Amino acid sequence: MFSFVARRAGAAIGTLFLSSVLVFLAVQALPGDVATQVLGKDATPDAVSALREKLKLDQPAWERYIDWIGGALHGDFGLSLVSGKAVGGEVGLYLGNSALIALVTVLFAVTGSIVLGILAGLYRDRWPDHLISTVSLIGMSVPEFVVATVLVLCFSVALPWFPAVVLYGPEASVGQLMPAVWLPALALAVVMAAYIVRMARTSVIDVMASEYVTTARLKGLSTWRVVTQHALPSALLPTLHVIALNVAWLAGGVAVVENVFNYPGIGKLMLASVQNRDLPVIQAIALISAVVYVVCNLAADLGAMALNPKLRTRGRTR
Amino acid sequence: MPDIHHPGRRSVLAAATAGAASLGASWLLTGCTGASAAPALPTDAKGGTPDRGGTLRIARPPASDAETLDPASALSAYEYLGALYNRLVRVGANGGLVPDLAESWEPDAKARTWTFRIRTGVTFHDGRKLTSADAAYTLRHILAKETASPQAAVLAPLIDPGKLRTPDARTLVVPLKTPNAEFPSLLTHYNCYVIPDGSARGIGRTGIGTGPFKLESFTPAGPGRITAYEEHWGGRPVLDAIDFYSVADMSARSNALLAGQVDLLSQTNLDFATARVVAASDRATIARVENAQWYVLPMLTTEKPFTDVRVRQAMKLAYDPEHVVKVALQGAGTAGWDNPVPPSDPAHITAHPEHDPEQARHLLKKAGHEGLTVDLYTSSYDPVFTPMALAYQDSARRAGIRIRVKTASADSYYTQIWMKKPLMATYWYTGRPVDQLFTQVFRSGSSYNETAWSDKKFDALLDRARQETDDERRRELYGEAQTFVVEKGGAMTPMFADRLVGISRKVRGYAEHGFEFDYLGIGLKGA
Repeated sequence: MFSFVARRAGAAIGTLFLSSVLVFLAVQALPGDVATQVLGKDATPDAVSALREKLKLDQPAWERYIDWIGGALHGDFGLSLVSGKAVGGEVGLYLGNSALIALVTVLFAVTGSIVLGILAGLYRDRWPDHLISTVSLIGMSVPEFVVATVLVLCFSVALPWFPAVVLYGPEASVGQLMPAVWLPALALAVVMAAYIVRMARTSVIDVMASEYVTTARLKGLSTWRVVTQHALPSALLPTLHVIALNVAWLAGGVAVVENVFNYPGIGKLMLASVQNRDLPVIQAIALISAVVYVVCNLAADLGAMALNPKLRTRGRTR
Repeated sequence: MPDIHHPGRRSVLAAATAGAASLGASWLLTGCTGASAAPALPTDAKGGTPDRGGTLRIARPPASDAETLDPASALSAYEYLGALYNRLVRVGANGGLVPDLAESWEPDAKARTWTFRIRTGVTFHDGRKLTSADAAYTLRHILAKETASPQAAVLAPLIDPGKLRTPDARTLVVPLKTPNAEFPSLLTHYNCYVIPDGSARGIGRTGIGTGPFKLESFTPAGPGRITAYEEHWGGRPVLDAIDFYSVADMSARSNALLAGQVDLLSQTNLDFATARVVAASDRATIARVENAQWYVLPMLTTEKPFTDVRVRQAMKLAYDPEHVVKVALQGAGTAGWDNPVPPSDPAHITAHPEHDPEQARHLLKKAGHEGLTVDLYTSSYDPVFTPMALAYQDSARRAGIRIRVKTASADSYYTQIWMKKPLMATYWYTGRPVDQLFTQVFRSGSSYNETAWSDKKFDALLDRARQETDDERRRELYGEAQTFVVEKGGAMTPMFADRLVGISRKVRGYAEHGFEFDYLGIGLKGA
């Protein structure tokens, strides 16, 4: 078991290294001159060349990479080219706001979709299943900004229950942001839930058809107990991976939704930074997203191991 | 930044979502109200007088995280400037110059030295009295190298900062390096707001000016608040305060208006679909700023085939501007006929060559470019670009010109495409006095000369015009300059478009033209 964990951790570190190189290269390949984009169209040529020098754009790329990754390992992501503030602190501020959305989304999406998925699985091929499957298919196919826009039009414009956009900056308190969290979270949850619903449904169907469930039923256990005590843990197992991947997607995929709601989160910061060619910020966000992705996957694997008696005991029996 | 194409100014990130948003919106609203036909756009915002007091909430696109309140800077937070500061002169509703902090101004006989009489009884927000020293300091600040002001390029060839004189507290004397009868019009630029003497270091944060509002708070690319300045020399503004919010995404801005979170969308030319939705809402409506946007299809005169003046002429004769106005603006604008001077400008001349595809074909044949095929670049940066490009393509086909419309990424459009590709779509705000317009955009070597056009005769004509002290004669010379640009220049000007501004139905007294926004008179009903 130890070797399994070590192997997975090693692979994760390798993946992170690889993604840091790719992130760096991708950012270098962005079209548009950094200095011009940062200083604005009106910048004088003098100012542009001074900034290019300051950014060390004349140095070879690998040198700049070593500089950057060395700093990043110490938690130092450099200074924002646009605001001049430390990237680490700034990214942290926006990341915190996004975490608020992510938390609510995960609560909505995971609990809601698992319940729906189980219902669909239990009522296989009957009307609740058809309804849930169709709706989740629609949720899966519609892009999140469309969902977000429809939600805004329904619940901010037509029925003024929630704010349509966030008018606060990144320093807003949790209390100020809270009313504005529900719609973005719901939009993300709709898109995210669809996958989990389908996965949970399939696993429930598989498990319910398995021999041990049949045995449990023959022992005279009620359907409720069969489902909660026997079927559910096994059905959750394959769903876990889908959930982990979706949580990882959340970290990077909120960009569009945050933009629709003007929500001061990491996605909005990323879009603004790409637009301004604020390289240190883009690189930091991309790297952090990679870390989240890798960590989520690792957690899913380890979680699967913890839940699966076969995987857990394999090391011991050998 | 309205006149310069500032990549950070207008949100382009989600221009793609804007389309979907408006689609969704029209679907929903028609669904809700059962209206079958799209409502027509109102031609005028609600009239009537505002109630005194209240707070106006404005959503604006942020310039960048490095925004500043220093008016001279390239990254100034534009919407605050007119509320916090005043200039020496500004542009009146009829396009002429009117007094602001200068009560009067006159040149010497040769238009070589200008004397400005500064208004008395004007105080800055910190209580200091305005004197001519502040005006002189402002000019020096704009010209200073470390300010890196875009307006320095325009003023530096004219003014030696060391030679500015202030014989008394009311008088500013500006000796020019070359005679210029239009000099005061250069001071109407929004980089030219007057700041207090010696304030360069702090002005970007303090925002201390003589304007109708004083600063309460300001966050770069974030929210801010300004409150009425009771001692303003022109009287107290109608409003008690203005809250500014920065919303980068265009569809998010219109959603905020539709949801009643803000009252006015600044610097947003709504696309027609969104404008219809806004106009149909019971919270918001559309105000039009007539001919506020000047749309251009610049041809780079240094790139083939546009190096040949006959090709440029053919490109202009080949298309019908009326058709472009009808298609791209759905009629909400005026045909430009390739004359960049807007119809509202006193110097504007109406004469222009007729649309003539046969003549265009003939010219192309003579130039050896029969059946010309060119790429025309566009992007979602502005909602009108692509319809304009397609309408041009459609119209020019009759002259045998094949246009391939190419869509480029919006966020690097003004660094990768503008002034680099031989043919593309772009726009400016109108409201620039005629001399400034020609000097900045058409004179050889000027920084915004987007067609890289260089014609000694044209430059000489401009020099003659600005030295001419007889107003009638000078207007004739600027008329000649327009004819020159229409016949020889590289810029096609298909049209001037009305800007469609989203405002709340509570807003009263909204007035905007060019770069002028009436912060004194605007207010709310039932505030």
